[in-house]
Amino acid sequence: MIGEQGGRLHAVRLGDNGAVTAPDAITVERPESAEVVVPELPWVTIVWDDPVNLMSYVTFVFVDYFHYSKAKARRLMLQVHTEGKAVVSSGSREEMERDVQAMHTYGLWATLQKSGE
Amino acid sequence: MTMFRPHRTGQVYVELPAYAAQLLANLTRQLVELLRDGEAPVHTEDPLEAMLTMDGPLEPPEDPALRRLFPSAHVTDAEVAAEFRRYTEPTLRQSKVDDGALVLAALEQTAESDDGDVEFVLDGEAARAWMRWLTALRLTLAERLGVTAGDEEYWESLDADDDRLPVYEIYGWLGYLLESLIDAVQG
Repeated sequence: MIGEQGGRLHAVRLGDNGAVTAPDAITVERPESAEVVVPELPWVTIVWDDPVNLMSYVTFVFVDYFHYSKAKARRLMLQVHTEGKAVVSSGSREEMERDVQAMHTYGLWATLQKSGE
Repeated sequence: MTMFRPHRTGQVYVELPAYAAQLLANLTRQLVELLRDGEAPVHTEDPLEAMLTMDGPLEPPEDPALRRLFPSAHVTDAEVAAEFRRYTEPTLRQSKVDDGALVLAALEQTAESDDGDVEFVLDGEAARAWMRWLTALRLTLAERLGVTAGDEEYWESLDADDDRLPVYEIYGWLGYLLESLIDAVQG
């Protein structure tokens, strides 16, 4: 029965000096398996369309820096051009900071953000 | 005239008329100066400390051209953007100054041939520095002019005496140079 069980769990025992202490049964430490490991959300690098950079140059940069195939680089460039932006890489925040900095070095307009933000 | 031609593996042969080399050198000096001028001053007398103080600014530069060259790295999160800028802007600024210095050195240290053309060879890395620099010049001129997407007709219909016309023509010429250089690098 619930009442009975509850009574047992909440039973107190009297110490030698008569002080009330909590029973060992309810001071069990949280088992390790219960610790939740929140996986770090991957970040992404986004390249934005701008009216200045040449399509050939943007494609060249994607091949040169990311070592993407010409076809993939061109597809990403066209996505930037027609949709205004494209996710060009993903990974840890540190990796994305490196990619964004590289894009800025080439003169492309790039930002980073948490994936799905 | 093709100003950049594929050379030996990965190299680019450059041949610029003297006027083109002078114009490019002039623009390059101006942008290097702008990049150096806008540098956040390091408040220290100690040269070693100055070298070790890597912290950059937290806020974007005031000059719109510099803001375009050093854009915010996050659209909405000001804290991420500020942290990124603090750690990367000095490096980024120096890398652009280095690109400009490399371009200027090539233009200045080259003997003119008999016909007045400036000729030299770029290896793969130097060619990339040239691409980045031509891009930085184009971004700066576009920002000064106020170039927006799909406005070619507007610029091409400027009056012949409009002060902006020669600037727009130089902007277009730099695009042509960059295109030619990309073609040459890709062989």
